[in-house]
Amino acid sequence: MSSRPAYFFLLPALLLYGTFVVVPILQVTAYSFFSWDNGIVQEFVGFANYARLASDTVFWAALGHNAIWVLLTLAFPLLAGLLLAAMLAERSPRTIQVMSAIYFIPRTIPLVVAGIIWGWIYNPLFGLLNYGLDMVGLGTLAGAWLAEESSALASLNVVGAWTFFGFCVVIYLGAIQSIDPSLYEAADVDGAPWWRKFRDITVPLLNNSTLFLGLYAAIEAMRFFDLIWVTTQGGPGYATEVLTTHIYKTFFLVGDFGYAAVLSVVLLVIVLSLSAVAFRLLRAK
Amino acid sequence: MTRTAWSAPLALFIATQAAAQDTVVVTQWDQFAQSGITAAGPAMDELIATCKPALNGAEVLRTIAPSIGIRDSYRLAVSAGKTPDLAYTWPAASVLSGYARVGALAPLDDYYAQYGWDQVNAFYKGRNSYDGHVYALPMEQDLMGVYYNKALFAEKGLTVPTTYAEFQALVETLKADGIIPVAFGNRDRWPATNSFSLILGLTAGRALEEKVFFGDEPWTNPAFVQAAQTFQDWAKADYFPRGFNGVGYDEANALFLSGKAAMTITGTWVLQDMIRGAKFDMGVFMLPPVKEGVAPGTMWGEGSQWQLSASAAPEVRNAAAAYLDCLVSPESRKVWVQKGYTVPIGTTPEELTQWGANPVVQEFFTSGLATPDTNFYDLHTTLPESVTQVLYPELQRLVGGEVTADEFLQAIQTAWETAGANGERWIP
Repeated sequence: MSSRPAYFFLLPALLLYGTFVVVPILQVTAYSFFSWDNGIVQEFVGFANYARLASDTVFWAALGHNAIWVLLTLAFPLLAGLLLAAMLAERSPRTIQVMSAIYFIPRTIPLVVAGIIWGWIYNPLFGLLNYGLDMVGLGTLAGAWLAEESSALASLNVVGAWTFFGFCVVIYLGAIQSIDPSLYEAADVDGAPWWRKFRDITVPLLNNSTLFLGLYAAIEAMRFFDLIWVTTQGGPGYATEVLTTHIYKTFFLVGDFGYAAVLSVVLLVIVLSLSAVAFRLLRAK
Repeated sequence: MTRTAWSAPLALFIATQAAAQDTVVVTQWDQFAQSGITAAGPAMDELIATCKPALNGAEVLRTIAPSIGIRDSYRLAVSAGKTPDLAYTWPAASVLSGYARVGALAPLDDYYAQYGWDQVNAFYKGRNSYDGHVYALPMEQDLMGVYYNKALFAEKGLTVPTTYAEFQALVETLKADGIIPVAFGNRDRWPATNSFSLILGLTAGRALEEKVFFGDEPWTNPAFVQAAQTFQDWAKADYFPRGFNGVGYDEANALFLSGKAAMTITGTWVLQDMIRGAKFDMGVFMLPPVKEGVAPGTMWGEGSQWQLSASAAPEVRNAAAAYLDCLVSPESRKVWVQKGYTVPIGTTPEELTQWGANPVVQEFFTSGLATPDTNFYDLHTTLPESVTQVLYPELQRLVGGEVTADEFLQAIQTAWETAGANGERWIP
C-alpha cells in the first residue's frame, strides 16, 4: 500500500509546525550571524557574536543559576511529591480526591500571578513571611528575601517548588495506584514496615515516573522566565539572572538582536539535548 | 427589500470610506495616562480637542502606552519599521541618536525654523540632536528633588537642610526617632539610577561629568568614587527602608505618602501622584552639594520628547508639526501645568505663580530652575542602553554592599568603553 495518503494527511500539521517552529528557529539562528543596531540588521559577522559568549560573565552566571534551579527542582518538589503521594495512596478514595485537588491548585495558578502573590509574601516592608516570623517570636530570622543576593535565588526556587510539587504528587499517585496490590500484601505477610515497602516496592516501581518528572522539570527549569521577571527582573545585581532573562534584556532592552539570538540558540541546544535524552531514556524503558 | 432600502446605506458607507481615505491620520503614541508616572492624561485629553484646528482637518489616532514600557515598545517598532507618525517617548540623547543613526526619525530643523521653538535651549537641543540635526522636540521639564513631609518636620521641630552636614544630621535625628529617613525602593532597578545621578552631580559637578561623558576622563576618577561611596554609605547607614532592593518604586512612594518615611528623593515625573496622594502638608527641597566646592544644582532633563517617524508621509509630518506647535504654545503650557501638573520646558516660575500652579509644583520648579548653569545630567537618559543595562544591576550590587565603589565604577567603565567602540555614545 502506498504511503502517499499518509503524507497527505500529515501535511497540514507539518505546514503548521514548519511555519511556527522550524522557520522561527532558522530565523533566530540566522540573526545570530549578523550585527544589529537598534534592531536594524547591519552586516554579516560570522561567528563573532558566538565568540562573545566566553567573556560574558552574565551569561555564565545565568547558566549557573539555571543549573542550580534544575538541581533544586529535582531535589525538593520530586521528593516532596513522592512522599506525599506514597502517604496519600493509603487513604480513602475521598481523601485522595480532595487532597490531590488541593495539592494541585498551585499548579493551576499562572506563574505571573504566583510571582505577584509571593512577591507580597516576601516583601520586606509588609510581607506575610516576616510578619509570621515576628508573630511566632522568630523575628530575628526575618529578612529581605528577594532583595539580598544570598537568599534571592533560593527564595524564588521555593516558589517554583510550590507551583510544581502538586504536579509531582498527581503523577506519582497515579503511578502508585497502578502498582499491583499483591506486592504490598506479600510484604505485609512478611511483616515489612511502611518504610521498607516504600523503599523496596514503591520507589523502584516508580522509576519511569521519576524519570519523566525529572526530565520534564529539567527542561522547564531551563525555560522559565515569568516568575523571575515579575519578582526580581534577575536582580538584585545578577543574583537571579537566568538565560531567559538575559536573552530578554539583550533583545528588548539593549536591542542587540544578534547576541540575543546567540543566547537563544545556546538555550535551544540545551533544551533540545535534554529533550533528546528524555526521549531516548523513556523509549528505552 | 426594495432597491432604495439598501442602496442608501451602501452609498453612505462608500462615501464614508472615500472620505476616510482622504483624511490625513496622525498616529500618536504617548504616555499621558491618568495615574502613575507622567500622569498628565487630563491635560492631553483637553489639548487634543484644543489643538484640533491646528491639524487642519487631519485626525489624531492616539495610543496611550505606560511610561516605563513605551521605551521598549518604541524600540521594537523601530526594528519592525512600524514607528508611529508621532511619539512622545524617552530617552533622548544616546537612544534618540541611535534611532536617528538608523534612519528611523525625521529631522525637525525646518520645523524649528518655521515655528521658532526657542524655548528649547542649547542644552536640550543638544540632547535631541544627532550629526548636526535636531530630531525631537523635548517638552516636559524633569527635575530631581527631595519631597518631604512638612507636617512631620514641624511636629519634630526639624528644618530643611541647607548643607550636606545638616542633611546627614537630619537623617540621624529621624533614625533616632524610629522614622525611615528616605523612602527608597529599587526592585524595579531604575530608581537607583536617578538617586545616583543626583549624588554624582552634587559630588562631581557638571563640568567633570561632561569630561567623563563627552571626553576621555574615566569613570573611576576620585570624585565619581566618592559619589559611589556616598550612595553605598547611605544604604549602610540605614537611610533607606529595610530590603530596599526588594521594594518597588510605587511601594516606596506609598511609604512616604503614608507618613512612615519622612522624605523621598525622586523627580517631578510623579508630582501628579504625589500631590493627589499626600494627605499631609508636603514640600520639596533641593539636596545640598555633597562635596565642598561643588555648586548647588539638581539633575534635570527633558523627561520625554516628541519625535516624528521618518516613514510618515510629508503631509502627515506637516500636520503633526503644526499640532506640536499648538501643544507647546504658551496657552497649552498653561493647560499642561494646571491640568497635568506637568511643566513644559520654557515655563518660568513667574508663569507658574501667575497660572495658579499647585504650591508644590511652584516650590519644586522655583528651586530647580534657579541653577540652570550648574544643573547636571541624568544617567538614565544620557547613557546608551547597553551601559544602562549594566548600570542597573551594578547599582543594586553597590547599594546592596556586594561590591565596592571602585569595583562598581570599573564595571561601568568597561561597559562604557565597549559602547564607545560600538559607536553608541552620544556627544552633543
